[in-house]
Amino acid sequence: MKRILLPLLVTLIFSFPGNAQEEISLKGKELFGDMRARQIGPALMSGRINDLESHPTNPRILYAGTAGGGVWRSNDGGAIFAPIFDKHVQSIGVVTLDPTNPDQNIWVGTGETWTRNSVSIGDGLFRSTDGGSNFKEVPGFENSERITSIVINPENNQEIYVGVLGALWADSQDRGVYKTTDGGSSWSKVLYIGPSTGVSDVIMDPENPNILYASMWEFRRSGWGFNSGGSSSALYKSEDAGATWNKIHEGFPEGKLGRIAVAVAPSDASILYAVLETEEKSKNGLWKSTNAGASWEHLNNDFGLVVRPFYFSRIVIDPKNPEVVLKGGLNGSISRDGGKTFKDLGNMHSDIHDFAFHVKDSDVIFSGTDGGVYRSWNGGSTFEIVENLPLSQFYHISVDNKEPYNVYGGLQDNGSWYGPSSSPGGVNARDWNSVGYGDGFRVLKHPTKNIVYSEMQGAENVWRYDVDRNRTKTIQPLPKKGDPELRFNWNAPMAVSQHQPDRFYMASQFLHVSEDMGDNWKIISPDLTTNDKTKQDQSKSGGLSVDNSGAENHTTIFTIAESPLDENIIWVGTDDGNIQITTDAGKSWSNVTDNLTGIPANTWVYHIEASVHSKATAYAVFDGHTMGNMKPYAMKTTDYGKTWTSIISKDIQENAFVRNIQEDYVNEDLLFLGTEMGLYVTINGGKGWSHFTNNMPPVAVHFIDMQKQTNDIVMGTHGRGVIIIDDISPLRELNQEVLAKKVHFFKNKPFTMPEESGFAGSFGAETQFVGQNKSSAARIVYYLKKRHTFGKMTLEIQDMDGNKITSLGPGKSKGINIVNWGFNTSNPKMAAAKTLSFGGFTSPRVPQGQYKVVLKKGKQTYAHIIETKYDRKSLTTLDERKEQEALTQTMFSMVEDLAFLVYEIGQIQSKAKEVIDMGGKPAKQAQKTWDALEALRTDLVVTTGDNYVASAEPELRERMGELYSNIATNYDRVDGSLKSNFELISEEFTTEKTRFAKIMDKQVKKFYKTLNGNDISLPVIKAKEVFLAKD
Amino acid sequence: MKTLKNLFVVLTLLAVAPMTAQTADEILSNYFENTGGEAAWNALEGAKMIGSVNAQGMEIPVEMYQMKDGKQLLKINIQGQEMTQYSFDGDTMWTTNFMTMLPEKSDAETTENMKINNQDFPSPFLNYKEKGYTVEYLGKETKEGTETFKLKLTQKPVMVDGKEEPTVSFHYFETENYVPIVVETTMNMGPAKGQMSTSGYSDYQEVGGLYFPFSISQGGQPIVMKEIILNPEVDAAFFAFPEEK
Repeated sequence: MKRILLPLLVTLIFSFPGNAQEEISLKGKELFGDMRARQIGPALMSGRINDLESHPTNPRILYAGTAGGGVWRSNDGGAIFAPIFDKHVQSIGVVTLDPTNPDQNIWVGTGETWTRNSVSIGDGLFRSTDGGSNFKEVPGFENSERITSIVINPENNQEIYVGVLGALWADSQDRGVYKTTDGGSSWSKVLYIGPSTGVSDVIMDPENPNILYASMWEFRRSGWGFNSGGSSSALYKSEDAGATWNKIHEGFPEGKLGRIAVAVAPSDASILYAVLETEEKSKNGLWKSTNAGASWEHLNNDFGLVVRPFYFSRIVIDPKNPEVVLKGGLNGSISRDGGKTFKDLGNMHSDIHDFAFHVKDSDVIFSGTDGGVYRSWNGGSTFEIVENLPLSQFYHISVDNKEPYNVYGGLQDNGSWYGPSSSPGGVNARDWNSVGYGDGFRVLKHPTKNIVYSEMQGAENVWRYDVDRNRTKTIQPLPKKGDPELRFNWNAPMAVSQHQPDRFYMASQFLHVSEDMGDNWKIISPDLTTNDKTKQDQSKSGGLSVDNSGAENHTTIFTIAESPLDENIIWVGTDDGNIQITTDAGKSWSNVTDNLTGIPANTWVYHIEASVHSKATAYAVFDGHTMGNMKPYAMKTTDYGKTWTSIISKDIQENAFVRNIQEDYVNEDLLFLGTEMGLYVTINGGKGWSHFTNNMPPVAVHFIDMQKQTNDIVMGTHGRGVIIIDDISPLRELNQEVLAKKVHFFKNKPFTMPEESGFAGSFGAETQFVGQNKSSAARIVYYLKKRHTFGKMTLEIQDMDGNKITSLGPGKSKGINIVNWGFNTSNPKMAAAKTLSFGGFTSPRVPQGQYKVVLKKGKQTYAHIIETKYDRKSLTTLDERKEQEALTQTMFSMVEDLAFLVYEIGQIQSKAKEVIDMGGKPAKQAQKTWDALEALRTDLVVTTGDNYVASAEPELRERMGELYSNIATNYDRVDGSLKSNFELISEEFTTEKTRFAKIMDKQVKKFYKTLNGNDISLPVIKAKEVFLAKD
Repeated sequence: MKTLKNLFVVLTLLAVAPMTAQTADEILSNYFENTGGEAAWNALEGAKMIGSVNAQGMEIPVEMYQMKDGKQLLKINIQGQEMTQYSFDGDTMWTTNFMTMLPEKSDAETTENMKINNQDFPSPFLNYKEKGYTVEYLGKETKEGTETFKLKLTQKPVMVDGKEEPTVSFHYFETENYVPIVVETTMNMGPAKGQMSTSGYSDYQEVGGLYFPFSISQGGQPIVMKEIILNPEVDAAFFAFPEEK
């Protein structure tokens, strides 16, 4: 009691100063309750893997640290994986198991380390001491951005080294090799070169934990270029547990070095391999030392060994054989002669970043690629993909208006796709359709025709794909005479007009418009960028190894937003910080960039959302991460860009830079913000934001769209595929009045009862990812001010007269609760028999109409009226549907009549049995009665066999149940065949009832007489209503 | 004056309370105290729980028996057919094959594992130290929209497919009343190994001075209790594997 009293007092005391007017502010899980996201993948092309880690002794266990989708673990030797790091940042650098306790102690260094243009950022160092159930952040690495290595002394797990690569787009003092000797409580930096040189690798000698090697890398990215290499890049060795470090370059060429990969053979500590990027092309590639780094010999500079060092600096050596060496690369390479020669690994997705050998069998090799994890069982000749890693990295998504709607989008290194938001049996790999090659970005559906626009990097190809005819045409804007060179972003913007279906926009430094779906183009703007020439020479990008992929093209337009209210109003945002607007379809432009107070100059305008609420209103989000500025920025204007207000609050994590914003079409104050650290939602126009974390990891959200018919929020994430929050309309209703109520039912449109009944073969689902479908049930949504814990709470559906139709399991969470009702009533009571009648499991659907949802909580009752509607795609007329419903009811009653009949028989039989057991004269009469009834019973119900192949021939109950179920579940009209069968069953039942009446009149009558004569009680038979009553 | 003094004490308590870390034992002792008292829980020999679960309109009656000595049985009724979903008599664990409707013994590992952690009634936390379990308080967390204390329970390790696996579950006690509302159990076998199976507890009601959750949900529809009978008279043979059937 004392414990109950204290909270009461707390409430009393704290309610004084604030009064009753105190604003109710619910955050995160308190607000969203059990409103959950669903993840639909796809996993068929998976996504980028940064690091693989095998368990030192248990070959069943394998970890994958992914570039943007968290940490995944397999417990079955790599057959399937499950995520274990979904509460934390999803960009992973390295996963390391404590060799002294690998089942419990898992270390995760965040921030991917293969530093391409589109990488996500990390958020520190984490540790689990309970096998991955919980992770805690280890203080000291808050600004590390990217962690490449975690090395734990196998003889003393308190001694740990952490290699920090550090910031990609800025200087950082946080780089370097860190050491702890107290298991991570305190750290000291034991190797630091300078603010632009980070740790590419730290490794430990397999025999002597005091010997360490560290490769240091000088590197930097900007929005318009990349540099790998410098005089600070070097390979170091320490022989005193990190106290002192010496360069080990004996044999290496002089001059600048780039990224260095280094590995020591687990079976021979004297053998080291390194891959170098140097100023002398002929000296690039693989180097080997056979004296623990004292001197080096150059072995190989084949393509596979020198390709893109910033992306592929990983060497993995067979744990049993120092001559077998794997090297990451475009295809991945393997040497079986100690590095002298290499061959490509077997076919798999290109861009291989890491490998793991099976701890007991080196024939088994796992490979981490830009397209997921692959397994080889034959030493690397053939590879197969792991099919349940939904790590797809979307740059952009869009939706159409089909039912169910499709999601379109482009992926990092994995082309362009569209797939359904729901599909029979769940969203499978086979549901996705390829609509573009290369890196995919924006994919847009033509508003009225079955045509899809897609593109590859830098608008090298823009495709117009006629889906029905399977025809593709490339339609990218091309320069004409007098045009300057067109500068397209790597992720070039496209837009379809909401006013003219064939109008299609693209942008380079200019805005291009086509009125005929891309056949002809017109430039309707001047250069809208800063046109800063210093940011336009990408031919030298890459540093020591030129890397001019187009990924760094800059001073380009990045976002186009045509006003949904006025086709003459178009907003444009550029990657170098400009916002420009035209209100006359491009005749004149105003640059409103100077009005953006609080946004640093040249900050990338990632997205502009032109509002549906007012022509003058727009939202813009800014992403400064390529200038080393991770702060979130989102602005709103209500006067065509003349003035802007920040709509960012302190609730948003300080390094959650923003890429997208989506406004609600109904409630102007409801906004969705896509950040590097997941989704944030505001219900008050940005005064406060809530992090959405229900089945949604804090993954980078690159694009958000809202499907207007369903009110679904659809997110393209860069690492976890498409994530959907179904029907967010309840959030529109949330205000102080609603939040103050104990229970509030949210409004809902009438629910359509879908009449679909197809097939969904689930072959392969054992090991394939299957995306969750949207429920097609009625979605009853209510708010509870408090979590229901004590006392009874029920939820039921009633007809409008208050008769119970069925009961539902109520949600009890504080905040929003969602309960699905499949439109079912209750199933009939079946006659008892030896086996089950599967037809009897059917609960008929309710007819179209109004129903009451009744929530009882303690002594309080709350009711809400909902409406169900027939499917407008129904195959039947209304009259036919009504006939089917009537016959369903007739059959329902018939099934229950039979149940009662069999019950009566059973009750009399058990009395007869009782009398038989007593013996004597009455037993004879009892036996006759029992026999007569048993003869009837065996014709009514199955009395032998089992539920499988030993089943008995179906009797009346089974055939009646089947017919009932057929009629009740059939969405078509009741056809002749069913009607004829109905006649047959009805007649048969009538005959059996007559048989029963005769037995009652004859044997049973006599039996009862005998009972009465011998002072034996008559059998107790419940009234039919009582027998059939459902509680 | 007395009132003022009391108020002062309360205020001091409030000022101190947030800074005083809760210990697992404090949370558990509050839980037992708020739900009937440790002595009463210790005196409980077993319970019979009668309830039902609604599957797509089909109300399936469920009967559960749980005894202090580890004996337990779960029985459902479909179309008048009683089926023992599983039973454990302290020695043998068995289930009913749905195809033949006949009893079958569980595999040796499953049965052994049942024996290893068979002192969970009425609560694994009751005298947990004597049972050889460990409990750790992991801090506060929001579950089902409300603030909870998170406790980690480690029971004895079990054998799965020939390898030893830990038995770990996380219990979330609502801070307002100290009763568990969510339990996450680390699955240690099958394809979902390593993932969590989540149960929700609510509708706590008093039976013979003890508070029990009358609604237990695991994903879909909850099991709703109609009646809980304390210390039911059950013959030991009731749990035994029916040799001849």
